[in-house]
Amino acid sequence: MQLTKHWAAQLDDYVIDLGWSADGTRLAAAASSGPVSLFATIDGARTDLPGHDDGANCLAWHPAQPALLATGGQDAKVKLWDADSAQHTASAGVGGAWIEHLAWSPDGAKLAVAAGRQLAFLRADGSTLHTFKPAPKTISAIAWQPAGGCLASAYFGGVCLWDADDFIAQKEFAYANGIHALVWSPDNRWLVSGNQDPSVHLWLPDTTDEFHMSGYEGKVKELSFDRDSHWLATGGGQDACLWDCTGAGPEGREPTMLPHQAKVCAVAFQHAHGLLATASQDGVVQLWSPERPKPLRATVKMPVPATKLAWSPDDGLLAVGSEKGVVYVLKVED
Amino acid sequence: MSPTTPAAPAPIPVTVLTGFLGAGKTTLLNRILTEQHGKKLAVIENEFGEVGVDNQLVIQSDEEIFEMNNGCICCSVRGDLIRILGRLMKRKDRLDGILIETTGLADPGPVAQTFFTDDEMRARFRLDSIVTVVDAKHVLLHIDDAPEVKKQIGFADVIILNKTDLVTPAEADAIAGRIHKINAAAKIHRTQNSAIDLRHVLNVGGFNLSRATELDPKFLEPSYPFEWAGVYALPKGEHPLVIGHCHHHDEGCGHDHSHEDHAHDGEEHDHHHHHGPEGTLDIVVMPVKSFAETDLAAARDAAVLVFSDWEKQVKPGETVVPGGTLQRLQIGEHAHAHFGLTIAEPGLFMVFEACGHHPLHIQVMGENVKPGWQQDYEHTHSHDDDVSSVGITEKGDLDGKKLNDWIGQLLKVKGNDIYRCKGVLAVKGSPNRLVFQGVHMLFDAKFDTPWGTAPRTNTLVFIGKNLDRAALTEGFKGCLT
Repeated sequence: MQLTKHWAAQLDDYVIDLGWSADGTRLAAAASSGPVSLFATIDGARTDLPGHDDGANCLAWHPAQPALLATGGQDAKVKLWDADSAQHTASAGVGGAWIEHLAWSPDGAKLAVAAGRQLAFLRADGSTLHTFKPAPKTISAIAWQPAGGCLASAYFGGVCLWDADDFIAQKEFAYANGIHALVWSPDNRWLVSGNQDPSVHLWLPDTTDEFHMSGYEGKVKELSFDRDSHWLATGGGQDACLWDCTGAGPEGREPTMLPHQAKVCAVAFQHAHGLLATASQDGVVQLWSPERPKPLRATVKMPVPATKLAWSPDDGLLAVGSEKGVVYVLKVED
Repeated sequence: MSPTTPAAPAPIPVTVLTGFLGAGKTTLLNRILTEQHGKKLAVIENEFGEVGVDNQLVIQSDEEIFEMNNGCICCSVRGDLIRILGRLMKRKDRLDGILIETTGLADPGPVAQTFFTDDEMRARFRLDSIVTVVDAKHVLLHIDDAPEVKKQIGFADVIILNKTDLVTPAEADAIAGRIHKINAAAKIHRTQNSAIDLRHVLNVGGFNLSRATELDPKFLEPSYPFEWAGVYALPKGEHPLVIGHCHHHDEGCGHDHSHEDHAHDGEEHDHHHHHGPEGTLDIVVMPVKSFAETDLAAARDAAVLVFSDWEKQVKPGETVVPGGTLQRLQIGEHAHAHFGLTIAEPGLFMVFEACGHHPLHIQVMGENVKPGWQQDYEHTHSHDDDVSSVGITEKGDLDGKKLNDWIGQLLKVKGNDIYRCKGVLAVKGSPNRLVFQGVHMLFDAKFDTPWGTAPRTNTLVFIGKNLDRAALTEGFKGCLT
């Protein structure tokens, strides 16, 4: 198996976020300086959107409408774009703070937006559906439950599950430290945080059980679950770490370590297949099959460290954003 | 795809700007942002100021304290900074510097500790210095009531004593002296309207390990052995010298101790042991050329030596002669006695009193002479500042393990009170200087430049609250091989 270059493009600045449209025909990439670029998957043909003054922070494609893109920036605006016409169609603000996190609900009806301590749900036209009371501290991560029943929102001190329909707090989990990332298992069973302390913490929201996995070298900002809710991949050190989440969960089990030569900076499982992509600060990107006795499948070294990894909807292409602004689209070939 | 390995970028220097509202922080910030220094800076502001300049990045932020460990201040960091700095890392082009402005009442501890939180922070950023702007006109009004003021002074690497045009040079000296007593390791710059060469503010290396080797040895300057000095213009002749309260009239009392208006805790009288035996008052009278600062300083330094010398006992009714002898006046249990002062040649004379609590009067033609200049060393070098510095210098080599155990234990137990510590140390077996610095319980140490032919001398300073000089010195000496 190998990773080969499909195409590459140079952005204005550090690639702060990137993502594939629902139909896989386009890749959007945001430069931290502000512009957002759209690329045709097939040949990398490029369309530039003005993006955000002062800098872009995040982007999110609508899960069903392939041309609807939401972006958030330091101008404190959420912007909606029509990718077909490359037009800016709507803007919304949520308080005056940077828009730091965006996430469409699985059904596409709501766009969750976090800005400072503020959380809001917007409709697909950009109008405000609901504004929540401010969190105790700045919201540091959000994640929709795959079933769509609630949104998990993390801040220093805990995680709150907000009901998708009546906007009440379903549950609150205390956590006495900073949280950098949240991920749900696809089967909705696990909610996992990557933490400053450094550790990962796992909740079983349907029960009162929770598990704590410490021993990391550094804070954990990289989390990904595989399609079967079997493996949880994490960064937080020079090895990527795989926790077996079947049955009673990872507690008491030794994690599988997937070695890199430098600190891991991104991890991403495929959507419907079993490959895991990991990237490290030395520019290396590796592919792994966790089930195999020899899990390493492919290694490629880029000239600069990756910032984000994103699999295309059909799992055939891996988009890699980099610190120097280059976007690489790699093809997985057997 | 090239096979080269990307080199780790040099850490970005960070300057933290503290100071009370109105001290001149915003003026300084505007100066930094508008001056043509050719640097690309990011400014993280906490107060909604008038700052906003093209071409530089200005970010507004709300102070957000993350208490990592049950509210212990040593374990608190600034969450907003973690987030914003995290975002500032995400740039293709490196910033030349970051400036963090704190609110007037902010505790600098969590800001400084933010840079020790994890390896990524340490690798990407370098806390260059903490710069505290002090309003010379108003600082004395706040310093005893607002613990934040002492704390901000205590944390500083650089102190900008601003608005010096609004006070007399003697007042500025007194304030600088008081600041120095709190934080002997900080560089003090006097300014008007925050006008200062930016090389004293940006990238100064105040917190920089490699530049810590330049730690100013002057911070070890001993406390003055006297608490008050005054300069009198005196004619030739023998003049009455009276110790104790005037019985006749008050307005002639030139020796005006402003500290008598202060509310002191009783503790200060515990420190009278070094002033001499009960019922005595040590004084020195030195001729001085002029009121010029250099002449006064020369006389002061000469007096320091005289105070360490043998004393001459002077009984009531006897006379005192100016010059290099310590005069121990027998003032009795009521602290009131009359002496004489013999002046052979008219001129200016500087009188130093070991204990500033005793009014001292020199009478010429039946009138008290007012001193033309006076300084209350009681204030500048008093024992009642709960925030202070302890400097230690010891020759010789340290035992690395003992040192580690001692520092580790010290910071664990006293970390809450120790705001800053810095040192350049000689560890047995290493040809290089060990430089270290810390904030509260967190510290960082690494080997730096070789000693070469320089004498292997350990220099260490602690700045903090309720520091026990004797215990620290003794503990440190215990680490010597």
